[in-house]
Amino acid sequence: MNARNLNQMVAVWVADGFRQIGQIRITQLDSGEFELRHVEDLGRMDLVNYEDPFDARHLSLTTVDGEFRPLKSAPNLRTGWRLLIRNIADLRAALDLFYPAMLGVWASHLRHELQPVSFRETLDRQTGMYAASKRLQEEEGQGLVANACSVENCTKRQLWKFAEDQTLRLMPADKCSAESKLLEGGIREIPLLCHEACNLLVAAARETVKKRERAASAGAAAAPTHGG
Amino acid sequence: MLSKPDSALIIVGHGSTVNQDSSAPTLEHVETLSRRGGFAEVVSAFWKEEPSLRQVLHMIDSDEVYVVPNFISEGYFTRTVIPRELGITGPVSEVSGKKLKYCEPVGNHVRMTELLLRRAAEVAPGVPPSETSLLIVGHGTNLNDNSALAAKREVDRIRETGIYAEVFNAYMEEAPLIAEWDTYTSQPNVVVVPFFIADGLHSFQDIPVLLGIEQEPGLAASQRQVFRQNPHPLRGRSLFFASSIGTEPLFADLILDQVAAFDAIHTAQ
Ligand code: SF4
Repeated sequence: MNARNLNQMVAVWVADGFRQIGQIRITQLDSGEFELRHVEDLGRMDLVNYEDPFDARHLSLTTVDGEFRPLKSAPNLRTGWRLLIRNIADLRAALDLFYPAMLGVWASHLRHELQPVSFRETLDRQTGMYAASKRLQEEEGQGLVANACSVENCTKRQLWKFAEDQTLRLMPADKCSAESKLLEGGIREIPLLCHEACNLLVAAARETVKKRERAASAGAAAAPTHGG
Repeated sequence: MLSKPDSALIIVGHGSTVNQDSSAPTLEHVETLSRRGGFAEVVSAFWKEEPSLRQVLHMIDSDEVYVVPNFISEGYFTRTVIPRELGITGPVSEVSGKKLKYCEPVGNHVRMTELLLRRAAEVAPGVPPSETSLLIVGHGTNLNDNSALAAKREVDRIRETGIYAEVFNAYMEEAPLIAEWDTYTSQPNVVVVPFFIADGLHSFQDIPVLLGIEQEPGLAASQRQVFRQNPHPLRGRSLFFASSIGTEPLFADLILDQVAAFDAIHTAQ
């Protein structure tokens, strides 16, 4: 890996019009400072002001209703705030709290250094309580992914396949593309990329397997088969 | 102060998909150490939250990366999960062109005893230790780690100081049981300090119930008042309940110490 300077890369992206990431709009002010706000708050004047990049930690912690957000790319970032940022280093720090690792993952993608790992490979690596997830079958697994990773639950794009020789059959194509979309007003987005299944999905895979196996053993107990 | 302007520091926590208190101390230590500025980059990584151990190296520019597990002891996570997910193969590993330096978990630090004593004193101000039983609550031995051993080690060390009238370990599901605290303690004051990394563990929420402070496991620790109502007059004693030792701000210094300790041992490499 060649030396990389993520701060410089972020500065270039913003200058080039990459001003939306997840549900956040980045605006450069006349003073040279930056302002972050929720895309749904673009025209609002009654926002609460924050000035510390670490405020991003608390702003991203829970939904408007106070629900914990373990998955930061879930489309439920709270609205109602405006975060003023002094420089690029602080911009990166704040965005790393709102969308952990996403700037770096995008940078790695652009440098051809991001290697997606298939879902099957991720599951096969599991040990301990998650080892059961290895027994996920293709049919049930495709349905699980289509549901758990849908745009309603997660705004990341899956770059991984189901297995080396199996695509994500039920996912819409644009949910699996790393392409940056051109938005209204000439603004470009920094896409949130998922290069390997998250722990939430692995845990859901384990649940799917356990549920099927419980049902099967209950069924077997209710209707014993007789060998012939 | 430890100065590593060309290195990154990753503080690894367990995290949780249901309880926001689990990752809070790790994030707090990251913030503290970022503001101090001793490293080029200070970031967290989690098993169950983001950034994940599979994402975190992408957010780092530095070629030299110290990895400190924010765990109470060696165990399944420090020996199996973290190395596997990060690609660590030994004390120093080359991963994606970076040099990863894998430090000891924070809970192993010798100053842990001092922190436990400090927390015990803070939670019961003005209460004489000579009239106080101190309970260090740990995970049971059935977990695949050494945290029970570590909790025993701390109790031995605190006993040796002779500061408290008596000191015991206490567990959820094995003797000495938390629920029976009044049967093996003899002093009018009882101070309970959980030897956990965070208040967000599922088991942590059961402790107030076992102690008799609450009737049923309630909200996350951050959303309730247990800590502010000390002492609890219970079973004829004054019971003081502290939050987990990992929420202690001095943990940030111990994290730095683990980096320094790594360098002291591995400088030749
Ligand atoms: S696996 Fe990736 S896309 Fe699916 S929910 Fe997790 S982070 Fe989102």
